[in-house]
Amino acid sequence: MVSVEPPPTGREVPYVRVLLLPAVLMAAVAAAAAALVDEEARPAVAVCGAVCLLLVLAVAAQAVRGFRTARRLRARHAHQIAFLKRRTDAHEEQSVRLGRDLLPEALLRLGRGESPAEVVGALVDADPVHRDLPMAGRALLRDVLEIVDNERAMRESAQLAFVNIARRVQAIVHRQAAELREMEEDHGRNPEVFDDLLRIDHGTALIGRLADSVTVLGGARPGRQWPGPVPLFSVLRGAMSRILDYQRVDLHSLVDVAVLGTSVEPLIHACAELLDNATRYSPPQTRVHVTAVEVQTGVAVEIEDGGVSLSEEARARAERMLAQAQVGIDLNDLGETPRLGMAVVGRLAQMYGMQVSLRQSAYGGVRAVLVVPREMLTTAPAPALAHGIGAAAVPRVNEEGRLIEEPARPAKRHRQPTGPIASPPLVPAVVAESFDPPQIEEWTPNGLPQRRSRVRSSYTRRLAERAQAAPAREARGGDGEPEPGLWIEAFMTGASGSDETSAEGRRHPASEEEGNHQ
Amino acid sequence: MTGARRERRAPTGSAANPERLYVLTGGTEAAERAALDLVTLIVARGEAPPTAPPEQAALLRMCATPLSVAELSAYLNLPFSVVTVLLTELLAARLVEARAPVVRSALPDRTLLEAVMHGLQQL
Repeated sequence: MVSVEPPPTGREVPYVRVLLLPAVLMAAVAAAAAALVDEEARPAVAVCGAVCLLLVLAVAAQAVRGFRTARRLRARHAHQIAFLKRRTDAHEEQSVRLGRDLLPEALLRLGRGESPAEVVGALVDADPVHRDLPMAGRALLRDVLEIVDNERAMRESAQLAFVNIARRVQAIVHRQAAELREMEEDHGRNPEVFDDLLRIDHGTALIGRLADSVTVLGGARPGRQWPGPVPLFSVLRGAMSRILDYQRVDLHSLVDVAVLGTSVEPLIHACAELLDNATRYSPPQTRVHVTAVEVQTGVAVEIEDGGVSLSEEARARAERMLAQAQVGIDLNDLGETPRLGMAVVGRLAQMYGMQVSLRQSAYGGVRAVLVVPREMLTTAPAPALAHGIGAAAVPRVNEEGRLIEEPARPAKRHRQPTGPIASPPLVPAVVAESFDPPQIEEWTPNGLPQRRSRVRSSYTRRLAERAQAAPAREARGGDGEPEPGLWIEAFMTGASGSDETSAEGRRHPASEEEGNHQ
Repeated sequence: MTGARRERRAPTGSAANPERLYVLTGGTEAAERAALDLVTLIVARGEAPPTAPPEQAALLRMCATPLSVAELSAYLNLPFSVVTVLLTELLAARLVEARAPVVRSALPDRTLLEAVMHGLQQL
């Protein structure tokens, strides 16, 4: 093969010109040979020369034709290569465009809540730059978007499940806190029981804070609502009551403002997390000091501990966590050993427009400053300064000087236990009904009254009487076993929802179902 | 007894109050309590220091005239055990004084007990 191609000529040289030289050469050689040989050999040599000339002509023509075909093929090949190169370049450019421009834009649009089909329609079909995207690229884009969309939906539902569970825990904790308060009222005169109740109360509050944290990290707002404004002092004591080491917290010189009802819970929670951090990362014998002063934008709550100072690296990490939480954190980012505190505070600060900063404290530890914006505060009088002191501290009188009748405390409701109902007592009801206080008939020598049981029949006889009474009761009907088929009717009415209890059950189908599966 | 217990006023403060009672008593460990009875009379002997928590300040304000522990507990809407802890602190600081109630006879006589017992049986 020739490595150097001749420059392509526009018109090919005719065969005659190419074949002329070998033909003339061969003819000359043949003529010379014929002239040189003897007279009698001349015709034979001339014939041979003619044959050779023909052969040379044929071979040369064939060779020339082969060369020309090869050249043509090569040219076409080069043309094809160039075409393919253009194609691959175009492909590469397209995939780069897909990855660099199209996909981020599509994910952005997806994040704004558009469906994958909408995104593909808006980005590819409506855009003249991307309209030439081949079907495969379009399918790829669509598949990627759908996978991302599915993934996002799954994550959201998992988070929602977390929040849901946390909310249920919160509900239980709130109910238990209310019941504990009631029990504390009831057993207030018994110091041992009372102290035990306080301990349980404290544990319940800690559980409640954890559930609140999960709710906040799941992107929901804290669940509990407070009806009216609450003084800052009570809010901070509420925060204290949700941490383990509340005894080490000292409240100093708090500015006299109240927090609006809607903002009470987030502020309590944020302060509780900061107090928890402060007490947890300082030596147990040191105190944590809390002050609240008025600043331009609201009220600054300062929490100082006397622990080891935060190293620059640790401070940077905590601040990063705060900043990250303000951008948006989810439960998946927390890792295996979650340090929820800062993330929760950051999230709450972002939700409610509070500012948090961590600085070196004059006591050597950390000083956390939480700036509560003015929108969360009010100077209106809060209903009570602290525990019932204020409005309810003295008996209230009306204009005429008569005592105002306070609403009586509602009778305590004991909820039915959820377990199986206890079997009826073994002693027959007949005996129990006829029971009345025993008469005192004699006195012991010590002067104490002695009683005699009035139930004189023996136990076996009472059982026999009861066995006799049972069929009689059933014969009267009413409280016996229901007719076969009746229970299925009851089930059907329950299932169709005409019953009250079934309506109740329908309202919380999820909780019922879960209860059954547990 | 249960009837009397149930007639007590509802804890109106707790509905709108985020603080729990153990924060008031300053600990769930068995707190020290002076030997105070429900009918012990409490009289204030000084002004509340500015650093006192609002409950103690309120106690001192109310005890300007002698009041029984039961009354204090009812007005403050706090259980008896919490009030005794707060009063113990005030007693230690000599800000209040406790006066013993009227002394009852050491042992009630037997006829009274019998009368009560018979009365109960007639119910």
